[in-house]
Amino acid sequence: MTAIGKTHAARRVRKPVSEIVFDVIVITVLTVFTLCILLPFMNLVSISFSNETAIMAGRVKFWPEGFSLASYRKILHTSSILRAYGNTIFVAFMSCALSLLMTSVAAYPLAYGDFGGKKLYNLLIMFTMWFSGGMIPSFMVMRGLGLIDSLFSLILGSAIGAYNVLILTSFFRSISRSLVESAYLDGANDFKVLFRIVMPLSKAGLATIGLWVFVGHWNDYMGPLIYIKSIEKYPLQLILRELVLEASSSGSMLEMSEGNKGALPEQLKHAVIVFSMLPIMAAYPFVQKYFVKGVMLGSVKE
Amino acid sequence: MTQKAIDARRPGRWKRRAWRNRYIYMMCLPVVAYFIIFKYLPMGYLSISFFDYKLLKGFSGSKWVGLKNFADFLKGRYFGQTLRNTVALNLMSLVMVFPAGVILAVLLNEVRSSPLRRVYQTITYLPYFISTVVLVSMITSFLSPSIGLLASVCKALGLPVQDYMAQKSAFRMINVLSGIWQNTGWNSIVYLATLTNIDPTLYEAATVDGAGRLRRIWHVSLPGLKQIVVLMLIMRIGSLMGTVTDKVLLLQNDLNLSVSELLGTYVYKMGLQKGKYSFATAVGLFNSVVSFLLVISANFVSKRLSDDTHGIF
Repeated sequence: MTAIGKTHAARRVRKPVSEIVFDVIVITVLTVFTLCILLPFMNLVSISFSNETAIMAGRVKFWPEGFSLASYRKILHTSSILRAYGNTIFVAFMSCALSLLMTSVAAYPLAYGDFGGKKLYNLLIMFTMWFSGGMIPSFMVMRGLGLIDSLFSLILGSAIGAYNVLILTSFFRSISRSLVESAYLDGANDFKVLFRIVMPLSKAGLATIGLWVFVGHWNDYMGPLIYIKSIEKYPLQLILRELVLEASSSGSMLEMSEGNKGALPEQLKHAVIVFSMLPIMAAYPFVQKYFVKGVMLGSVKE
Repeated sequence: MTQKAIDARRPGRWKRRAWRNRYIYMMCLPVVAYFIIFKYLPMGYLSISFFDYKLLKGFSGSKWVGLKNFADFLKGRYFGQTLRNTVALNLMSLVMVFPAGVILAVLLNEVRSSPLRRVYQTITYLPYFISTVVLVSMITSFLSPSIGLLASVCKALGLPVQDYMAQKSAFRMINVLSGIWQNTGWNSIVYLATLTNIDPTLYEAATVDGAGRLRRIWHVSLPGLKQIVVLMLIMRIGSLMGTVTDKVLLLQNDLNLSVSELLGTYVYKMGLQKGKYSFATAVGLFNSVVSFLLVISANFVSKRLSDDTHGIF
């Protein structure tokens, strides 16, 4: 770690000693913090690949001890986990598509519209950022709609977020206005302008929102906890809690522990955790810039 | 714009304008319907807090009880406890998690090599993307006296190994430290962007004046951050009553319940586990109204402090 600091400092040989010391301190502090973040991940992955005796002896640190793939093989043969994976993928993709469509349709009038009632329309959307009915009333409405214990409660419940509308509106506004106006002159109506011109030109904005929605649904715990009742509709996070945090003896547990009612082996628990975050972690380095873009836009909104 | 001016001079301009915007209205329609059904209808259901609401009988079959549910909550022993826990947890994260993001941004800004900085950024942002269930699983694993990393560190240093998850006094610290672990990198993004927008000539001028690195941070970086820090701080104070219900719900156990029961978790338990819908809604409404007032005042303060164009909402 200090090696990095030293090479870094060595490049600026003409700098006074105090500057070099400063650089070394900055690099050291950052490296220690970064390691604090990285090492628990390495520990998690190592445990998921180690054998149970080494784990229970507390010997597994940042590298697998007694390498074993048993847990991963077991996961791939456990229908409750695979089904939960499928449920989560379904919800995440459907939400993503619906959200992009609806958020675009919601943002377009705010970005380009000049219509009576625009202020009211804006207020109707933005007010929901400050105040909401809360948990029980939302549950009542979902119940009234007959969506309790349906995956559609998760998809519909958060189809449009006021914050995303805000972000997409500012994206839409940054498109050259003359382009939009010339399309109008060519006789295109607002729907054509939105779908043929504005949306294709806002790919970065749509990617930002789409990714947020996807990750949000992938990681959502509260929504399914409130709305989903039957175990075959459980998304990943609920199954995960059941297997890892609660030693309850429900169907999915029994299937995994094969009649043994106690907690699951640690290797298996850790493998399930790793397995659950695999897609997000694999995609993360490539899509990081879109996430960051969303934060930046959000913070400079008007 | 010119079309608008022409419209204004003609009779029947409203109709004309509305007709011209027919597609816009067609777009608004599903959006308005969505917000009314999924956001405003729940607000209407807040009124069940004034009833003794029976799920199967609906409003007509339920008895109007006025403010009884609120009175029950305010007089009950959970009011003081949940309110105190909610505010204490948020204040602790305000004092510890909030500054961590600012400090990280200042440090990252001092790293001259941009590939190295990118590595730091990528890794520190990473925990923000794991789910709460995974986070809590990792906390449990980390703190486990038998297999956890913390236990091996303690053993190596000759310190006693303890089961912190079973200790009431450790709950808030666990919550805040894991908050720092998960959110610091992400929180730093806004500050880092502000820092990279500071005019480099300011740093050069400071260097010419003989200011070292520390003094440049003190006299250039920190003043440049002042406005955004104050804004974010006010926002954070506005959410002092907000609750991260999911994380606390997962960290909760019988041993730490007296410090970990928050307004949000109490609503969940009363409403969805015990079926006391009206009472839970009253608690939730109390929480929402206080939060709303806090956010509105925070917004008011931030608008007065910042330029008119930079209000937060």
